[in-house]
Amino acid sequence: MDHRRARTLNLGDFWQGDDLDPLRAPPDFTEWRSATMAEQAIFQRPLTSASGPRTSFLLHGERREVINLASLDYLGLNGDPRLVAAARDALQHWGTGACGVPLLSGTTTLHRELERQVSASVGAPSTMLFPSGFSGGFGLMSGLLRRGDVAIADEKAHMCWLDGIRSSGARLVLYRHEDPKSLDEALTEHRTKRRLVVVDGLYSMDGDLADLPRLLDVCDAHGVGLIVDEAHSIFALGENGGGATEVHGEQRRVRLLFGTFSKSIASLGGFASGDEELLEYAKLYSHPYGFSAALPPAIVATNIEAIRIARTEPERRRRLADNAAYFRRAVCGLGLDIGLSTTHVVPILVGGERDLLYDAALAMLERGLYILPIDYPAGPEDRVRFRASISAGHSREDLDTALGIIEDCVVRPLRARGKLAT
Amino acid sequence: MNRDDILTVVRKHLAGVLDGVEAASIDPARSMKDYGANSLDIVEVVSASMRELRLKVPRSELSKLTNMDGLVDLLHKVATEKSATP
Ligand SMILES: Cc1ncc(COP(=O)(O)O)c(C=O)c1O
Repeated sequence: MDHRRARTLNLGDFWQGDDLDPLRAPPDFTEWRSATMAEQAIFQRPLTSASGPRTSFLLHGERREVINLASLDYLGLNGDPRLVAAARDALQHWGTGACGVPLLSGTTTLHRELERQVSASVGAPSTMLFPSGFSGGFGLMSGLLRRGDVAIADEKAHMCWLDGIRSSGARLVLYRHEDPKSLDEALTEHRTKRRLVVVDGLYSMDGDLADLPRLLDVCDAHGVGLIVDEAHSIFALGENGGGATEVHGEQRRVRLLFGTFSKSIASLGGFASGDEELLEYAKLYSHPYGFSAALPPAIVATNIEAIRIARTEPERRRRLADNAAYFRRAVCGLGLDIGLSTTHVVPILVGGERDLLYDAALAMLERGLYILPIDYPAGPEDRVRFRASISAGHSREDLDTALGIIEDCVVRPLRARGKLAT
Repeated sequence: MNRDDILTVVRKHLAGVLDGVEAASIDPARSMKDYGANSLDIVEVVSASMRELRLKVPRSELSKLTNMDGLVDLLHKVATEKSATP
């Protein structure tokens, strides 16, 4: 397969072919992969130091420091000595593993403490933990929904919800992104069924916030509960770090608030906060809670300490908001399109220019900027993009240097193609 | 393989992902979305149809289609080309 043709293909082309053995990679996939090795090298690229505001890679055999706009450590907590000390102490006291699943023997008093801290942070009566955010979203859906039910999700909701819904056997209905009328139509059409609605608090590919008050008005009119996935917003947004739910003052109406410790908390794990009885039921039917090992105590201790810091150092959220506003304004000033973003997740849309996406990503890496291309199926094919993740840990100098590289490697070629006003 | 065989396969897979829709009642002049299929359902219907028909069409061509007639025509064209090449 030649490189030109290979670059017109994407993952959608190899999901299912006419090959017969599921334990053998499709032959055309193998041809495509070998023809696009240069592009593939952007992904799964092993870092050679911690993922902070800067990080490093091996480039042409040499270790090179780069500005990191690909880390989800929004509060700049990765590597904080207080987190490291909390983890080290817990390692010494508890050993390395939980050595059991949460439902049976893997829960420690430390896990209970983390549950309490999360409940207190988000103002919910109860919290359950999951081994990861993905397993949490997946497990809640596969555990709470049954065949014949209908789950209604924003078309941009995260994959963990969509996969969980489909595995439950319930019907998945997607409504138009952030369109309360489209949600209302879906709820009306399926009014005879058991229903729930799932949205992200902050959309991970677009950087916009869910308009929770309007969505909740629609849900309330139908008497249907709403789950908000705050993976990218919990501890990063809201006066007290309560995410989009707090920004909108909707703590009372959101039925289940979901979050992860993998981004702003710079660690690992997922959680769901809400009605205690519902969560007790979910614990028995969400398989990741009963069939997958509990978080190791050192991770749990890290999460507890990171939450304490996130709550007591609100200036991190202010710095994050300032950095994000500065970066968004500057990117727009370059004539680039940031789509719907109003937050620290800043897409830079390049339309359907997929070849430019990869060329520019590689060029920026060479220049000292790590920023990820987002291609189908993570986003629509005609709106491929870079995704910049801004952190409270970035200095203005980091952002200015990054902007200069973006100007050279993205703005110039887009202009040369006539895809950007001059 | 004629056009009707292809339509039958597409209808069958669409009915399989929706509840309460009879395969025979599906109007190919409409889009799968009109019948309530979401974007993941559509990928599944198209992929399962291609697998059953032993055909392969690049995604870039599929993204231009607006209804099931368009899909069936495209698959029929590819099938005809495939049987013409030894
Ligand atoms: C919106 C959303 N939900 C859930 C997850 C899964 O979280 P985790 O990485 O903790 O498994 C992610 C992250 O990748 C996400 O972006």
